[in-house]
Amino acid sequence: MRLIEGVMYRNYAPPKGADPDRITFVMVDEDKCQGCGACDEVCATGAIQSINDDGIHRIVDPVACMNCGQCLTNCPYGAISEGVSFVDELFEKLKDPDTVVVSMPAPSVRYGLGECFGAATGTYVGGKMHAALRKLGFNYIWDTEFAADLTIMEEGTELIHRVKEQGQKDARPLPQFTSCCPGWIKFAETYYPDLMPNLSSCKSPIGMLGPLCKTYGAKETGTSPKKIYTVSIMPCIAKKYEGIRPELTDSGFSDIDATINTRELAYMIKAAGIDFNNLPDEDPDPVLGESTGAATIFGNSGGVMEAALRLAYEELSGEKLKNPEIKVVRTHEGINTADIKVPNFGVVKVAVASGLKNAAKLCDEVRAGKSPYHFIEIMTCPGGCVNGGGQPLDPEIQASLFRSTVAQINKRFRVRKIKA
Amino acid sequence: MKMKRRSFLKACGVMTGYAVLSMNIATEAIASVMSFVGLRQKSVYAADANSKIYKYRKSQNNPMIAKIYNKKNGFLHDGPCGHKSHELLHTHYIDRSAKLSALKGKGYKFNF
Ligand code: SF4
Ligand code: SF4
Repeated sequence: MRLIEGVMYRNYAPPKGADPDRITFVMVDEDKCQGCGACDEVCATGAIQSINDDGIHRIVDPVACMNCGQCLTNCPYGAISEGVSFVDELFEKLKDPDTVVVSMPAPSVRYGLGECFGAATGTYVGGKMHAALRKLGFNYIWDTEFAADLTIMEEGTELIHRVKEQGQKDARPLPQFTSCCPGWIKFAETYYPDLMPNLSSCKSPIGMLGPLCKTYGAKETGTSPKKIYTVSIMPCIAKKYEGIRPELTDSGFSDIDATINTRELAYMIKAAGIDFNNLPDEDPDPVLGESTGAATIFGNSGGVMEAALRLAYEELSGEKLKNPEIKVVRTHEGINTADIKVPNFGVVKVAVASGLKNAAKLCDEVRAGKSPYHFIEIMTCPGGCVNGGGQPLDPEIQASLFRSTVAQINKRFRVRKIKA
Repeated sequence: MKMKRRSFLKACGVMTGYAVLSMNIATEAIASVMSFVGLRQKSVYAADANSKIYKYRKSQNNPMIAKIYNKKNGFLHDGPCGHKSHELLHTHYIDRSAKLSALKGKGYKFNF
């Protein structure tokens, strides 16, 4: 175990072919747990439960846990740790001259990473992030944001196809659910498997970028795909589960070799002695690096929806969308619904849910055949990936004032317990 | 079987008081996370609207997207949701509910 940006990590990189359902990505240190219950208040599934008289909590089985890490980011005692870390393996690969290491950072990483180096919450550090990846020794600075643009093309086209095929034999059902969030996807597979036909068949952005690096990217750069080691850099813990899904091998190799999160990237930059704050802003490498504003808003709840609508509007109406800002779908918390009027087409009905408890409400509607929507976006984390379980922790959560309040209550509880 | 914390508390008669306090604490924590999230979200929308950071705001205007879907010589020349896309960029899902049912069979309770 080692401490990385306030969170304990087990040094464990799952071997190739490991079953992701049997791996513990999020775990409770029962010696540190104070039984305050903050974790089970935020866990949608109930996977984290009290196991004894003292209220000590445990994740009962990885099968029930979506690996979202919301319990981890909300534990005031730092009692929850990560069970998987590719950091050591990645340092080895970066040193190896025979390995071509490719970076694939998600949109949200660039809005969180700066916080680990003293920047204000949310500061955009995309240019410095690319420079730091180059300094760490990554051979190609490719970017998951490019694949987010690609996801919009694929998922938007799929939606248009689904809308058009309604009424035909073998039509795929509506609403179409987005498939970018790995916590949500595992949730659907586990708790709502009957809705799998409603999930977009599109891989998530990282699921698309992995195989493209080892096919298209390899071709464009004249690199042997065998030598390529792809590193998914995410604001998320559940992406570690997605990265080792056995079906993600369409390049002929494992599409995603390693997954780290924002905290681990900050740790690596610090461990390498890189002066992050004084780095110049640098661009990613071409072909699989360039991206748009539509790609960066994937980090927010409602972002995939807005980005998809920027495409669908133009495709369906044949007209240019003058103002790309579709603010009605921007979601801070809860469920957000909107009717988008598209000229020459009609109304596109959409819903955005932040958090799995809200997702379940929309799922129940679909299950009952009562869902009026064409397209539904779900994000597991509150407000979207920017608040993912792999982002730098909110210092407020572990602030001493809050901790002492909890401790006081616990003390009272223990006193009463003795009297009882 | 060991008593769950909540039933234990009930037995002690402090359930209500504790539940209210602990609920407030969790709500307080979530509220603080939401304001925190608001800051990060604002920054994302600001970058999207900043032409110095993102020259284009629509995926279909990304020149590298045009290159990969180029009808003549693009890597995905048969277009979005085309043959090559289906091979590399689309996937299928796996029913994991049996594993959950097995856990429920052992007496565990979950929210859905
Ligand atoms: S939030 Fe942390 S200390 Fe509180 S019950 Fe959960 S694991 Fe234990
Ligand atoms: S990681 Fe998410 S699903 Fe798993 S126990 Fe924690 S909050 Fe619940």
